[in-house]
Amino acid sequence: MLAALPSILIGGILQGGIYALGAFGLSIIFGVQHILNVAHGDVLMLGGLLTYWLVTARGLSPFQAFFIVLPLFFLAGVLLQRVLIRPIASKSPHEFLIASILVTLGVSLAVSDITSASMTQPVSVTYPLPTLQVAGLAFSSVRLLFLAMILALTGAVHLFLQRTFLGRGIRAVIQNREGAMLVGVNIPRVSTVTFGVGTALTAAAGTLYVVLLPVDPHMGIPLTMKYLAIVVLGGVGNLVGALSGSMILGLAESLVGFTLGAEWSLTVAFFLLVAILLVRPRGLFG
Amino acid sequence: MLMRRWVGWVAAGLLAVAAATGPAPAAAQESILVGASLSMSGPFAEEVGPFKKLMDTWADMINAKGGIRLGNRNVPIKFIIHDDASKPDESIKAYERLVTVDKVHILLGPYSSPITVQASTVAEKHGIPMIALEANSTAIYTRGFKWLVGVIDDGPKWSHHYFDMLKAEGKVKTMAIVIQETGHTKEAGGGAVAKAKAVGINVVVEESAPARPVDYTPIIAKMKAANPDVVFVAGFPAFNVAFYKQALEQGLNPREYHVIHHGSAFRKAVGEAQANLVIGENYWMPGIKKGNWQMFEEMLQKTGIKVEDYPWAGIRMFGLDALKATLEKAGSLDREKLMAAAWTVDMETISGRLRFQKKGEAANPNAEGQGTLNPFPTQIQDGKYVTLWPQDFATGKHVFPRGAR
Repeated sequence: MLAALPSILIGGILQGGIYALGAFGLSIIFGVQHILNVAHGDVLMLGGLLTYWLVTARGLSPFQAFFIVLPLFFLAGVLLQRVLIRPIASKSPHEFLIASILVTLGVSLAVSDITSASMTQPVSVTYPLPTLQVAGLAFSSVRLLFLAMILALTGAVHLFLQRTFLGRGIRAVIQNREGAMLVGVNIPRVSTVTFGVGTALTAAAGTLYVVLLPVDPHMGIPLTMKYLAIVVLGGVGNLVGALSGSMILGLAESLVGFTLGAEWSLTVAFFLLVAILLVRPRGLFG
Repeated sequence: MLMRRWVGWVAAGLLAVAAATGPAPAAAQESILVGASLSMSGPFAEEVGPFKKLMDTWADMINAKGGIRLGNRNVPIKFIIHDDASKPDESIKAYERLVTVDKVHILLGPYSSPITVQASTVAEKHGIPMIALEANSTAIYTRGFKWLVGVIDDGPKWSHHYFDMLKAEGKVKTMAIVIQETGHTKEAGGGAVAKAKAVGINVVVEESAPARPVDYTPIIAKMKAANPDVVFVAGFPAFNVAFYKQALEQGLNPREYHVIHHGSAFRKAVGEAQANLVIGENYWMPGIKKGNWQMFEEMLQKTGIKVEDYPWAGIRMFGLDALKATLEKAGSLDREKLMAAAWTVDMETISGRLRFQKKGEAANPNAEGQGTLNPFPTQIQDGKYVTLWPQDFATGKHVFPRGAR
């Protein structure tokens, strides 16, 4: 067990990191706009699919594809928010939540149907790099690089939210929407940018995901459920909470997979989330 | 005068009637109609999509030589094939149509065990013989169906030739096995565990993994700690690709990798260099000169199908051979006679001897109708699939361990 521990921990942290990128996006979208984007997991799948195409058809590396996917999906998120979400924003909060679920569910089903028409098998990207040997232990170079990228992106999001006017505006709206309006924050603009940022982060996660695991047309909704669990665990709109929740889930899956078997990892991880919520109903940082 | 006019009118009328009805039609030519559903769309299309042209080419070649010998006459054969979209319910509809509308005489099975288990209920319901093809799940043949036989042997025996080879070579002492949680792969993997133990190989790690690809770090960590001679991966291509890639990334370096489905879907996804020396199973690869291999090679050449890309083409071929043998032995299109004839088939095919096992002969004592054909271990060597065992089917030598070259 001891010899395997470094690999298991890195695997769990990496998995948690990929979850975190997607969970950030869902958390800030929900925090700012109070909508539940059921298609969030499909965004990861589409990010992975685009990466696959860029690598196999255009000969780019996954790292190059990353810098194309990020801005492209930011724009896609902005468009989605303007076309589908903004028209229903005038509804009452309760109606808006229901309507947002229905609209994004429709998007999810459409994405799933359209992609499954062209994808007969799951796809993944192969990007072999030499294994790193440290103190007699072998580590995956690809995984370590991805961890570094996730840390860098997480840091960038943190700086954006802390140091930029738009970022502070997003935090203000999450904390108190009416108060933010009073101090002059442009709510519609913040909502649009938030949706774009959230979508871009999740698609970026897809770029990393498709190198590690295959993507298939029907993975979206189960993934969204996982993100939702993380957001609830971490506290809605709380990025530190989303990161913590993601790490707990990723590490739990990895450790349980090692001790009890891979088929138990998801079940136990979810029981753990439920147990935490029973102790702290508002989440870890809610 | 009146009489002459009357006769003239009658004659004209008769001529008009004769002209309208035309010459008497020639008797319609008899054809043997064989029905099948095929996954020409959907996820299985990548495995068997082009097989319609393979089957039609076979029919053309048979008909060019006069057709099938039925009793004292030669009769042409024709396939009627409907797309099942890789779905069991669509396959059921297709077979119902084949039997009730297209009025076929005999059926060939669809691709895959999950679809065959459903489609065969149509044959049983209507009392029409079905020869199952790419379907080896034990559950298909333990239902007591009277109108079904299948050409390939039991799922748990999938890798038995491989283990026979390992036993003969005596170099492998330990093995780690990971099994994807789906019907076929559980049977193949479970059979591998049992056979490994039977030939004296110590199974040091035995793990199951969910059907959907996940992070396999925990399983890989266990395998690394156990340091097995062979890592055996029992999964479908997407699972195998995900596991294999993660294993290589994380430095799992056994003396051999065995991946039960290592066709082009696996090879192209992991890359040619990384796929080199991986072993899996195939029913036929170029170089095996058994049964009707020359006709098969001609069919592959005419259709442009490469058996490396479509490994189940071999199963189609000996399924077609079994179909021909059944028809010729029956000498008739009577369903009862066809089914009785199928049970008497005992022939050499491109993959060896084929007959349909009676109840009590197969590994499961309740199974009946399963064929006797099992796939052979084939190793990817510089992009080519080399058959390794049994020795009378081998087209090259087993390269072991992976770093041996």
